[in-house]
Amino acid sequence: MLGTLLLGGVAALDAAPVAQTLLSQPLVTATLLGALWGDWRVALEIGVVLQILAASTLPVGARTPEDYAAGGVVGAGLGLALAARQPFAMARESAVLVGVLAGLVAATLGVPLLKWQRRRNEGLARWCEAEVRAGREGALGEAHGAAVALAFAVGVGYCAVCLGLGLWALDPLVTRHSLRLSRAWALAQPLWLGLGLAQLLSAFVQRRLARAAVFGAALIGAWIALMVGTP
Amino acid sequence: MSARITRGDLRRMAARTFLLQATFNYERQQGLGWAWAMQPALDRLYADPGERRERLAEHTAYFNTQPTLASLALGAAAGLEERRAAGEGPDAAGASRVRSVLGSALAALGDRFFWFTLRPFAACLGVLLALSGSWVGAPALLLCYNVAHLGVRWRGVGWGYRAGPEVMSGVVRRRFERLTAALGVLGAALVGVTTAFLLAPGGDPRPLVFQVGLAAGLGLGLVAAQRPRPSPTEWALGVGALCLAATWLR
Repeated sequence: MLGTLLLGGVAALDAAPVAQTLLSQPLVTATLLGALWGDWRVALEIGVVLQILAASTLPVGARTPEDYAAGGVVGAGLGLALAARQPFAMARESAVLVGVLAGLVAATLGVPLLKWQRRRNEGLARWCEAEVRAGREGALGEAHGAAVALAFAVGVGYCAVCLGLGLWALDPLVTRHSLRLSRAWALAQPLWLGLGLAQLLSAFVQRRLARAAVFGAALIGAWIALMVGTP
Repeated sequence: MSARITRGDLRRMAARTFLLQATFNYERQQGLGWAWAMQPALDRLYADPGERRERLAEHTAYFNTQPTLASLALGAAAGLEERRAAGEGPDAAGASRVRSVLGSALAALGDRFFWFTLRPFAACLGVLLALSGSWVGAPALLLCYNVAHLGVRWRGVGWGYRAGPEVMSGVVRRRFERLTAALGVLGAALVGVTTAFLLAPGGDPRPLVFQVGLAAGLGLGLVAAQRPRPSPTEWALGVGALCLAATWLR
């Protein structure tokens, strides 16, 4: 669990403050957590759904997008923790559903926290300019150090709260209602994947007929290749 | 003779661009990160502490662009600062205007390439590989995005310094636009292959419920993509709540 929380801090840093290498994307954090918890199947099922939904969530301009860095860690971490306590396959599917939903909720609720950090940074920027004009050029480095430390701490803290609350509230639900939850997963998984694929398709096609035709041709070609290629 | 920016200074600036958004805020956006990245150049160019501080404080003003291509703007601005320190370049207002124009031009190009095309493309590639249950999806996603992202981030400062404010005009701009268009076409094909793989992974067709669900999700998503609100995440939460309600009330 400590590794999961630290990954929450690292993902919070990568999302915007440091480098933006996409290490914070749900598929990457879910894969790392899958290796950490020794359960690829659950981790990848959660990671794929969250990733396909996160792919079209972009930090363009001053927009504060949903916090999929935290959502990915909370979703996969919670799903893996719940699945580890369930011995049956059906209960593991219900853990996957709960993990995805918890990831989506954590990503949405993380937005005010990101906005709060950015408002804190406004004060830091004003302080920094005054310090530089007063002759302390090192204030720039100190401000950056402080902002990075704050982002890491907020990432770890937010993931800890979400995982703690999630385990406390959702473990009994998964244990008691695994049949209903696994049925809900069978319904929701294709809908979520379709929703995410449509967002990606819309981003690539951009109302150009030729690109829509490329999508159709690739879909049919790949489907035929898959069906015919299998003995 | 006035001082000149060295390769070492450009490398230090490139390393600092990784923290460009560390202090991102609504008032100055990347302004503070920009000043932090510019500091090695200003240290080299201005021996007088008073003048150096004044220049550094000027650079903490508002700046915003696509963070990867900010390296190019930073290099170009460092070149201008070098001329300014030698008494040839524009004044403070002129330098600020150049910075602002560069920021807008690079944002228009960078947002389209990195955010709207390369990032979804890398994500789709990662998802396609992960759907087969393999762990290679995540490394593929990282590799696909970071070859361009880290390459431009690290080398962009030098390119911008050598090319000056015209860094994104002419050949480079056209190359970026061609690459964006090509990736858009490849991305559309990749979504098609991913959809086919979801319908029949390994040539084994999924149950009808899954196929109908996927088609319904695609249809809903295409309609939802025409409007900014509700966001895809809000749609996904709504769909999840609906599925839970349907199984609970059944």
